[in-house]
Amino acid sequence: MALRGVWQLQKLVVSYCNWGGSSRGIRAFMETKLPAFQEKNPQLEIVPELIRGQHPHLKAFCKNKNQRVVCVKNMTPDDILLHSTRLRNALGRKVVKLKTRHVTKHPTVQGTWSTDLKF
Amino acid sequence: MATRRCLHALRHHAAAAVAVRHSVGRSFSALASHSGGSLSRSVLELETTPFRIGHLGASSSWRCYCSGKTPEDEGSEDEYEESEEEEGEIDEVSDGEIAAGPGLQKRDYTPEEKEAVANEIGYKVIGPLERSDRVFKPYEPVFAVVQVGSHQFKVSNRDCIFTERLKFCEVNDKIILNKVLLLGSPTQTIVGRPNVPDAAVHAVVEEHALDAKVIIFKKKRRKNYRRTKGHRQELTKLRITDIQGIEKPEIPEPKKPVKIKVKRDTDKQEKVAVPA
Repeated sequence: MALRGVWQLQKLVVSYCNWGGSSRGIRAFMETKLPAFQEKNPQLEIVPELIRGQHPHLKAFCKNKNQRVVCVKNMTPDDILLHSTRLRNALGRKVVKLKTRHVTKHPTVQGTWSTDLKF
Repeated sequence: MATRRCLHALRHHAAAAVAVRHSVGRSFSALASHSGGSLSRSVLELETTPFRIGHLGASSSWRCYCSGKTPEDEGSEDEYEESEEEEGEIDEVSDGEIAAGPGLQKRDYTPEEKEAVANEIGYKVIGPLERSDRVFKPYEPVFAVVQVGSHQFKVSNRDCIFTERLKFCEVNDKIILNKVLLLGSPTQTIVGRPNVPDAAVHAVVEEHALDAKVIIFKKKRRKNYRRTKGHRQELTKLRITDIQGIEKPEIPEPKKPVKIKVKRDTDKQEKVAVPA
Protein backbone atom coordinates (compact mmCIF):
# COMPACT_ATOMS: atom_id res chain seq x y z
CA MET A 1 0.00 0.00 0.00
CA ALA A 2 1.66 3.12 -1.16
CA LEU A 3 0.06 6.41 -2.04
CA ARG A 4 2.45 8.24 -4.36
CA GLY A 5 5.35 6.21 -3.05
CA VAL A 6 4.46 6.61 0.63
CA TRP A 7 3.62 3.42 2.52
CA GLN A 8 0.27 3.69 4.26
CA LEU A 9 0.58 0.98 6.90
CA GLN A 10 2.36 2.43 9.93
CA LYS A 11 2.07 -0.18 12.64
CA LEU A 12 1.19 -3.85 12.81
CA VAL A 13 0.37 -5.24 16.25
CA VAL A 14 0.72 -9.02 16.44
CA SER A 15 -1.33 -10.18 19.44
CA TYR A 16 -0.95 -13.76 20.57
CA CYS A 17 -1.33 -16.04 23.58
CA ASN A 18 1.50 -18.23 24.78
CA TRP A 19 -0.81 -20.94 26.20
CA GLY A 20 -3.81 -21.34 23.89
CA GLY A 21 -3.99 -23.79 20.99
CA SER A 22 -5.56 -21.26 18.65
CA SER A 23 -2.29 -19.27 18.82
CA ARG A 24 -0.17 -22.19 17.69
CA GLY A 25 -0.02 -20.97 14.13
CA ILE A 26 0.85 -17.42 15.06
CA ARG A 27 3.55 -18.57 17.45
CA ALA A 28 5.11 -20.60 14.63
CA PHE A 29 4.70 -17.58 12.34
CA MET A 30 6.52 -15.38 14.81
CA GLU A 31 9.43 -17.81 14.97
CA THR A 32 9.77 -18.57 11.27
CA LYS A 33 8.28 -15.93 8.99
CA LEU A 34 7.99 -12.72 10.97
CA PRO A 35 11.73 -11.80 10.89
CA ALA A 36 11.80 -12.12 7.09
CA PHE A 37 8.61 -10.04 6.83
CA GLN A 38 10.12 -7.40 9.07
CA GLU A 39 13.27 -7.21 6.97
CA LYS A 40 11.32 -6.84 3.77
CA ASN A 41 9.37 -3.92 5.21
CA PRO A 42 11.73 -1.72 7.22
CA GLN A 43 9.24 1.16 7.15
CA LEU A 44 6.73 -0.90 9.11
CA GLU A 45 6.66 -0.99 12.90
CA ILE A 46 5.81 -4.52 14.04
CA VAL A 47 4.89 -4.86 17.74
CA PRO A 48 4.33 -8.29 19.29
CA GLU A 49 1.80 -8.19 22.12
CA LEU A 50 0.95 -10.91 24.62
CA ILE A 51 -2.73 -11.35 25.47
CA ARG A 52 -3.25 -14.41 27.63
CA GLY A 53 -6.44 -16.39 27.31
CA GLN A 54 -7.65 -14.70 24.13
CA HIS A 55 -7.59 -15.62 20.47
CA PRO A 56 -4.77 -14.17 18.39
CA HIS A 57 -5.27 -11.31 15.98
CA LEU A 58 -3.41 -8.82 13.78
CA LYS A 59 -4.15 -5.10 14.19
CA ALA A 60 -3.17 -2.72 11.42
CA PHE A 61 -2.84 1.04 12.00
CA CYS A 62 -2.81 3.20 8.87
CA LYS A 63 -1.70 6.75 8.22
CA ASN A 64 -5.28 7.90 7.70
CA LYS A 65 -6.05 6.79 11.30
CA ASN A 66 -7.95 3.70 10.13
CA GLN A 67 -7.62 0.43 12.00
CA ARG A 68 -8.22 -3.04 10.69
CA VAL A 69 -8.36 -6.14 12.87
CA VAL A 70 -7.94 -9.63 11.43
CA CYS A 71 -8.53 -12.65 13.68
CA VAL A 72 -5.97 -15.34 12.92
CA LYS A 73 -7.13 -18.08 15.30
CA ASN A 74 -6.35 -21.64 14.20
CA MET A 75 -4.55 -20.49 11.05
CA THR A 76 -1.36 -21.90 9.59
CA PRO A 77 1.75 -19.64 9.41
CA ASP A 78 1.32 -19.42 5.61
CA ASP A 79 -2.21 -18.06 5.96
CA ILE A 80 -1.07 -15.55 8.57
CA LEU A 81 1.68 -14.38 6.24
CA LEU A 82 -0.90 -13.97 3.47
CA HIS A 83 -3.12 -11.85 5.73
CA SER A 84 -0.26 -9.66 6.91
CA THR A 85 0.90 -9.18 3.30
CA ARG A 86 -2.65 -8.19 2.34
CA LEU A 87 -2.77 -5.65 5.16
CA ARG A 88 0.54 -4.23 4.02
CA ASN A 89 -0.58 -4.10 0.37
CA ALA A 90 -3.88 -2.33 0.92
CA LEU A 91 -4.52 1.36 1.47
CA GLY A 92 -6.30 2.20 4.68
CA ARG A 93 -9.52 3.18 2.94
CA LYS A 94 -12.91 1.83 3.93
CA VAL A 95 -13.94 -1.25 1.94
CA VAL A 96 -16.86 -0.03 -0.13
CA LYS A 97 -18.20 -1.27 -3.43
CA LEU A 98 -16.45 0.60 -6.25
CA LYS A 99 -18.55 3.16 -8.13
CA THR A 100 -16.18 3.29 -11.09
CA ARG A 101 -12.99 1.51 -11.98
CA HIS A 102 -11.46 4.73 -13.30
CA VAL A 103 -10.92 7.64 -10.94
CA THR A 104 -9.91 10.91 -12.57
CA LYS A 105 -10.00 14.64 -11.97
CA HIS A 106 -9.77 15.60 -15.65
CA PRO A 107 -12.40 13.59 -17.50
CA THR A 108 -11.87 15.25 -20.85
CA VAL A 109 -8.90 16.42 -22.94
CA GLN A 110 -10.40 17.34 -26.29
CA GLY A 111 -13.69 18.63 -24.91
CA THR A 112 -17.04 16.97 -24.23
CA TRP A 113 -19.05 15.92 -27.24
CA SER A 114 -22.47 17.40 -27.88
CA THR A 115 -24.82 17.26 -30.82
CA ASP A 116 -23.97 20.86 -31.89
CA LEU A 117 -20.20 20.17 -32.08
CA LYS A 118 -18.73 20.81 -35.54
CA PHE A 119 -15.30 19.40 -36.48
CA MET B 1 -26.58 -44.09 -16.62
CA ALA B 2 -22.83 -44.37 -16.84
CA THR B 3 -22.65 -46.69 -13.82
CA ARG B 4 -25.38 -48.85 -15.30
CA ARG B 5 -23.36 -49.06 -18.52
CA CYS B 6 -20.23 -49.91 -16.53
CA LEU B 7 -21.92 -52.65 -14.55
CA HIS B 8 -23.44 -54.08 -17.73
CA ALA B 9 -20.02 -54.06 -19.39
CA LEU B 10 -18.45 -55.68 -16.30
CA ARG B 11 -21.11 -58.38 -16.19
CA HIS B 12 -20.63 -58.99 -19.91
CA HIS B 13 -16.85 -59.26 -19.52
CA ALA B 14 -17.15 -61.48 -16.45
CA ALA B 15 -19.49 -63.80 -18.33
CA ALA B 16 -17.07 -63.85 -21.26
CA ALA B 17 -14.13 -64.56 -18.93
CA VAL B 18 -16.02 -67.39 -17.21
CA ALA B 19 -16.91 -68.87 -20.61
CA VAL B 20 -13.30 -68.56 -21.79
CA ARG B 21 -12.05 -70.03 -18.53
CA HIS B 22 -14.38 -72.98 -18.83
CA SER B 23 -13.37 -73.61 -22.43
CA VAL B 24 -9.65 -73.19 -21.58
CA GLY B 25 -10.09 -75.32 -18.48
CA ARG B 26 -11.77 -78.01 -20.49
CA SER B 27 -9.06 -77.89 -23.15
CA PHE B 28 -6.31 -77.89 -20.46
CA SER B 29 -7.94 -80.75 -18.60
CA ALA B 30 -8.11 -82.61 -21.89
CA LEU B 31 -4.41 -81.91 -22.45
CA ALA B 32 -3.61 -82.85 -18.85
CA SER B 33 -5.38 -86.15 -19.14
CA HIS B 34 -3.34 -86.77 -22.26
CA SER B 35 0.10 -85.52 -21.11
CA GLY B 36 -0.11 -86.42 -17.42
CA GLY B 37 0.13 -84.40 -14.21
CA SER B 38 2.63 -81.76 -15.41
CA LEU B 39 -0.06 -79.40 -16.59
CA SER B 40 -2.41 -79.93 -13.64
CA ARG B 41 -0.64 -77.25 -11.56
CA SER B 42 -1.02 -74.67 -14.31
CA VAL B 43 -4.72 -75.56 -14.61
CA LEU B 44 -5.18 -74.96 -10.87
CA GLU B 45 -3.46 -71.57 -11.16
CA LEU B 46 -5.68 -70.64 -14.05
CA GLU B 47 -8.79 -71.67 -12.16
CA THR B 48 -7.91 -69.73 -9.02
CA THR B 49 -7.10 -66.54 -10.97
CA PRO B 50 -9.98 -66.21 -13.39
CA PHE B 51 -9.46 -62.52 -14.22
CA ARG B 52 -6.09 -63.06 -15.82
CA ILE B 53 -7.54 -65.31 -18.46
CA GLY B 54 -9.08 -62.32 -20.12
CA HIS B 55 -5.93 -61.38 -21.96
CA LEU B 56 -5.46 -64.92 -23.25
CA GLY B 57 -8.58 -64.35 -25.30
CA ALA B 58 -9.36 -61.27 -27.36
CA SER B 59 -7.33 -58.36 -26.01
CA SER B 60 -9.95 -55.74 -26.79
CA SER B 61 -12.73 -57.38 -24.78
CA TRP B 62 -11.35 -56.20 -21.36
CA ARG B 63 -11.71 -52.45 -21.97
CA CYS B 64 -14.23 -50.70 -19.74
CA TYR B 65 -15.74 -47.52 -21.18
CA CYS B 66 -17.01 -46.27 -17.86
CA SER B 67 -15.89 -42.71 -17.08
CA GLY B 68 -15.57 -43.60 -13.42
CA LYS B 69 -18.56 -41.59 -12.08
CA THR B 70 -20.13 -42.60 -8.76
CA PRO B 71 -23.88 -42.29 -8.05
CA GLU B 72 -23.17 -39.17 -5.94
CA ASP B 73 -21.51 -37.45 -8.89
CA GLU B 74 -24.47 -38.35 -11.05
CA GLY B 75 -26.82 -36.65 -8.62
CA SER B 76 -24.80 -33.40 -8.52
CA GLU B 77 -24.52 -33.37 -12.31
CA ASP B 78 -28.29 -33.39 -12.60
CA GLU B 79 -28.54 -30.55 -10.11
CA TYR B 80 -26.03 -28.47 -12.11
CA GLU B 81 -28.01 -29.00 -15.32
CA GLU B 82 -31.19 -27.91 -13.57
CA SER B 83 -29.62 -24.78 -12.14
CA GLU B 84 -28.91 -23.43 -15.63
CA GLU B 85 -32.62 -23.16 -16.43
CA GLU B 86 -33.68 -21.73 -13.08
CA GLU B 87 -36.42 -19.27 -12.28
CA GLY B 88 -35.16 -18.17 -8.88
CA GLU B 89 -33.32 -14.99 -7.80
CA ILE B 90 -29.61 -14.86 -8.45
CA ASP B 91 -27.10 -12.11 -7.68
CA GLU B 92 -24.45 -11.93 -10.38
CA VAL B 93 -20.75 -12.04 -9.70
CA SER B 94 -18.70 -9.00 -10.69
CA ASP B 95 -16.89 -8.81 -14.02
CA GLY B 96 -13.48 -10.03 -14.94
CA GLU B 97 -11.44 -13.13 -14.15
CA ILE B 98 -12.85 -15.43 -11.54
CA ALA B 99 -10.04 -15.78 -9.01
CA ALA B 100 -9.07 -19.44 -8.69
CA GLY B 101 -8.77 -21.05 -5.27
CA PRO B 102 -5.48 -20.73 -3.38
CA GLY B 103 -4.46 -24.25 -4.41
CA LEU B 104 -4.35 -23.37 -8.11
CA GLN B 105 -2.34 -20.17 -7.71
CA LYS B 106 0.82 -21.79 -6.34
CA ARG B 107 2.26 -22.46 -9.78
CA ASP B 108 5.92 -21.45 -10.11
CA TYR B 109 6.66 -19.42 -13.19
CA THR B 110 10.11 -19.00 -14.70
CA PRO B 111 11.10 -15.37 -15.39
CA GLU B 112 10.53 -15.88 -19.13
CA GLU B 113 7.08 -17.33 -18.53
CA LYS B 114 6.27 -14.41 -16.24
CA GLU B 115 7.25 -11.92 -18.92
CA ALA B 116 5.30 -13.79 -21.56
CA VAL B 117 2.15 -14.00 -19.46
CA ALA B 118 2.47 -10.37 -18.40
CA ASN B 119 2.93 -9.30 -22.01
CA GLU B 120 -0.15 -11.27 -22.97
CA ILE B 121 -2.24 -9.38 -20.42
CA GLY B 122 -0.72 -6.12 -21.55
CA TYR B 123 1.84 -4.89 -19.07
CA LYS B 124 5.52 -5.12 -18.27
CA VAL B 125 7.15 -4.72 -14.90
CA ILE B 126 10.18 -2.47 -14.85
CA GLY B 127 11.20 -2.45 -11.25
CA PRO B 128 10.60 -0.94 -7.85
CA LEU B 129 10.09 2.76 -7.45
CA GLU B 130 13.11 4.57 -6.09
CA ARG B 131 12.89 7.57 -3.84
CA SER B 132 14.90 9.62 -6.30
CA ASP B 133 12.49 9.05 -9.22
CA ARG B 134 10.39 12.10 -9.94
CA VAL B 135 7.57 10.12 -11.47
CA PHE B 136 4.55 12.10 -10.32
CA LYS B 137 4.36 14.97 -12.79
CA PRO B 138 1.78 17.75 -13.03
CA TYR B 139 -1.25 17.20 -15.21
CA GLU B 140 -0.74 17.11 -18.99
CA PRO B 141 -3.71 17.34 -21.38
CA VAL B 142 -2.94 14.05 -23.15
CA PHE B 143 -5.02 10.87 -23.00
CA ALA B 144 -4.61 7.27 -24.14
CA VAL B 145 -6.94 4.30 -24.48
CA VAL B 146 -5.12 1.36 -22.95
CA GLN B 147 -6.07 -2.31 -22.63
CA VAL B 148 -5.27 -4.43 -19.56
CA GLY B 149 -6.49 -8.00 -19.73
CA SER B 150 -9.93 -7.79 -21.29
CA HIS B 151 -10.77 -4.27 -20.11
CA GLN B 152 -10.02 -0.96 -21.80
CA PHE B 153 -9.61 2.38 -20.06
CA LYS B 154 -9.28 5.99 -21.25
CA VAL B 155 -6.43 7.26 -19.10
CA SER B 156 -4.65 10.50 -18.61
CA ASN B 157 -1.79 11.59 -16.40
CA ARG B 158 -2.36 11.39 -12.62
CA ASP B 159 -5.51 9.25 -12.62
CA CYS B 160 -6.18 5.84 -11.09
CA ILE B 161 -7.37 2.57 -12.57
CA PHE B 162 -8.67 -0.54 -10.82
CA THR B 163 -7.77 -3.67 -12.76
CA GLU B 164 -7.85 -7.37 -11.99
CA ARG B 165 -5.01 -8.53 -9.76
CA LEU B 166 -1.74 -8.31 -11.73
CA LYS B 167 0.24 -11.34 -10.70
CA PHE B 168 3.89 -10.49 -11.06
CA CYS B 169 4.18 -7.04 -9.56
CA GLU B 170 4.46 -5.81 -5.99
CA VAL B 171 3.21 -2.55 -4.50
CA ASN B 172 5.38 0.44 -5.45
CA ASP B 173 6.49 -1.12 -8.75
CA LYS B 174 6.80 0.73 -12.02
CA ILE B 175 4.81 -0.74 -14.88
CA ILE B 176 4.62 -0.09 -18.62
CA LEU B 177 1.31 -0.80 -20.30
CA ASN B 178 2.02 -2.00 -23.82
CA LYS B 179 -1.38 -2.30 -25.46
CA VAL B 180 -2.23 1.27 -26.42
CA LEU B 181 -5.15 1.55 -28.80
CA LEU B 182 -5.50 5.31 -29.16
CA LEU B 183 -3.53 8.42 -28.23
CA GLY B 184 -4.97 11.89 -28.10
CA SER B 185 -4.06 15.48 -27.34
CA PRO B 186 -5.99 18.76 -27.87
CA THR B 187 -4.49 19.09 -31.38
CA GLN B 188 -3.71 15.54 -32.52
CA THR B 189 -5.21 12.03 -32.41
CA ILE B 190 -3.32 8.81 -33.24
CA VAL B 191 -5.49 5.77 -33.90
CA GLY B 192 -3.89 2.34 -33.67
CA ARG B 193 -4.61 -0.65 -35.92
CA PRO B 194 -5.19 -2.33 -33.52
CA ASN B 195 -2.30 -1.06 -31.34
CA VAL B 196 -0.12 1.99 -31.66
CA PRO B 197 3.49 0.76 -32.01
CA ASP B 198 6.14 2.47 -29.87
CA ALA B 199 3.59 3.92 -27.53
CA ALA B 200 3.95 3.39 -23.81
CA VAL B 201 1.92 4.30 -20.78
CA HIS B 202 3.83 4.37 -17.52
CA ALA B 203 2.08 3.53 -14.28
CA VAL B 204 2.87 2.78 -10.66
CA VAL B 205 1.19 0.05 -8.63
CA GLU B 206 -0.51 1.69 -5.66
CA GLU B 207 -2.25 -1.19 -3.94
CA HIS B 208 -3.34 -4.81 -4.15
CA ALA B 209 -6.62 -5.09 -2.30
CA LEU B 210 -9.86 -7.01 -2.09
CA ASP B 211 -13.12 -5.54 -3.27
CA ALA B 212 -16.18 -5.37 -1.04
CA LYS B 213 -17.97 -8.67 -0.47
CA VAL B 214 -20.66 -9.63 -2.98
CA ILE B 215 -23.16 -12.19 -1.76
CA ILE B 216 -24.29 -14.72 -4.37
CA PHE B 217 -27.69 -15.99 -3.35
CA LYS B 218 -29.40 -18.76 -5.28
CA LYS B 219 -32.93 -19.88 -4.60
CA LYS B 220 -35.50 -22.06 -6.26
CA ARG B 221 -38.91 -21.46 -4.84
CA ARG B 222 -40.98 -24.35 -3.54
CA LYS B 223 -38.03 -26.71 -4.18
CA ASN B 224 -36.25 -26.42 -0.84
CA TYR B 225 -33.07 -25.11 -2.51
CA ARG B 226 -31.16 -22.14 -1.14
CA ARG B 227 -27.44 -21.37 -1.41
CA THR B 228 -25.43 -18.40 -0.12
CA LYS B 229 -21.84 -17.71 -1.20
CA GLY B 230 -19.59 -14.71 -0.50
CA HIS B 231 -17.09 -13.44 -3.05
CA ARG B 232 -14.34 -10.80 -2.85
CA GLN B 233 -12.57 -9.93 -6.06
CA GLU B 234 -8.82 -9.20 -5.93
CA LEU B 235 -8.01 -5.85 -7.52
CA THR B 236 -4.90 -3.80 -8.30
CA LYS B 237 -4.93 -0.01 -8.26
CA LEU B 238 -2.60 1.60 -10.80
CA ARG B 239 -1.75 5.29 -10.90
CA ILE B 240 -0.89 6.54 -14.39
CA THR B 241 2.24 8.70 -14.40
CA ASP B 242 3.25 9.25 -18.02
CA ILE B 243 2.00 8.80 -21.59
CA GLN B 244 4.58 8.53 -24.36
CA GLY B 245 4.16 8.34 -28.09
CA ILE B 246 2.45 11.64 -28.82
CA GLU B 247 3.59 15.27 -28.89
CA LYS B 248 2.52 17.00 -25.77
CA PRO B 249 1.38 20.62 -25.96
CA GLU B 250 3.72 23.02 -24.14
CA ILE B 251 2.12 24.86 -21.29
CA PRO B 252 3.46 28.42 -21.14
CA GLU B 253 4.63 29.28 -17.66
CA PRO B 254 2.59 32.05 -16.00
CA LYS B 255 4.61 35.32 -16.07
CA LYS B 256 5.36 36.88 -12.73
CA PRO B 257 4.20 40.52 -12.37
CA VAL B 258 7.29 42.82 -12.67
CA LYS B 259 7.64 45.31 -9.78
CA ILE B 260 8.59 48.84 -10.89
CA LYS B 261 10.47 50.93 -8.31
CA VAL B 262 9.24 54.53 -7.95
CA LYS B 263 11.98 56.96 -6.78
CA ARG B 264 10.86 59.68 -4.45
CA ASP B 265 12.48 63.18 -4.72
CA THR B 266 11.08 64.54 -1.45
CA ASP B 267 14.39 64.03 0.47
CA LYS B 268 16.45 66.06 -2.04
CA GLN B 269 14.05 68.97 -1.93
CA GLU B 270 14.26 69.04 1.85
CA LYS B 271 18.06 69.04 1.76
CA VAL B 272 18.10 71.95 -0.66
CA ALA B 273 15.67 73.88 1.54
CA VAL B 274 17.69 73.55 4.79
CA PRO B 275 20.98 75.40 3.91
CA ALA B 276 19.02 78.22 2.42
